[in-house]
Amino acid sequence: MMSAGEQRWEMLEKIGAYAAGELEGEEAREVEQLIFERPDYRRLAESYARMLVMLDTLGNEPVEAPEAVVGYAIRRAYISAFMRSAEVFIGALGRSYLDAFVYYLGLRRESYGGGT
Amino acid sequence: MSSAPGGATDQALALRASRGDVEAFKQLVQEHSGLVYRVALRIVGVEGAQDASQEVWVRVWRNIKNFRGESAFSTWLYRVTVNACLSARRKEARRGEREYGGDEMPFLPEPPGGDADPEAAALGAERREEIQAALGHVRAEHRAALVLRHMEGLSYAEIAQVLGVPDGTAKGWVSRGRAAMLIALAEENHGRTGGSAG
Repeated sequence: MMSAGEQRWEMLEKIGAYAAGELEGEEAREVEQLIFERPDYRRLAESYARMLVMLDTLGNEPVEAPEAVVGYAIRRAYISAFMRSAEVFIGALGRSYLDAFVYYLGLRRESYGGGT
Repeated sequence: MSSAPGGATDQALALRASRGDVEAFKQLVQEHSGLVYRVALRIVGVEGAQDASQEVWVRVWRNIKNFRGESAFSTWLYRVTVNACLSARRKEARRGEREYGGDEMPFLPEPPGGDADPEAAALGAERREEIQAALGHVRAEHRAALVLRHMEGLSYAEIAQVLGVPDGTAKGWVSRGRAAMLIALAEENHGRTGGSAG
């Protein structure tokens, strides 16, 4: 069995769902009846409606990110891409030097001339 | 959200960016930086929004290879943004969530010109502060769900996808967030009007 506090919270959520237009059929009619009968529930529904209008209004206002955010994101990507390329280049260069050194020491049998 | 006009372009740009094309990434940043900053502003507040937004774009660049194009790019971006904001919030000392223990229901007073007054519908600086402060008293996951639903206009299926939870959980989080927000907003309002409202 639910406590009085839990029942109040359930009603709070139910009226919120009604104010947001998310209840249908029997459930919606049940809440409508309660709102009609009890002035405190009516005030609650009106308060929800006001709050939802405020959230919607604020949500629809254009917000621009500060230039610093955009600049930082792009700079980081350029640096990261440069580092990746540098890593690949240095890796390839290192491997080439190593191959050449191994060949120089005669540790590899096959020759670069195509013959064996 | 998924029917955004730039959807196909975003997918193509994301694919190019995943191959290391910085110019494509730059276009994505320029196109969506407003979305990221707006959501960060609502979830972490003005003091943390810039850092959270920067962290989002670092994560996007690092993980864009994981974007497979199964959902809209904006859905994936919302997910990265919400995750970064929730991580940022976990690092902070948790602000007190407003408890609802009273016998009375929370109320918001009617604006002076009535609900139909267009001037009342426009939000003043004080009202914005109230909303932002009240959002700060809603549990982070519930706040994220509330913001996505009532400020970003996402469907429950989209919210579930962004938050990585079942549809029913997303619906429950929005519902709890809505109730907690009203309680916090009523208390903010009550505090500012010196207890004369409500």
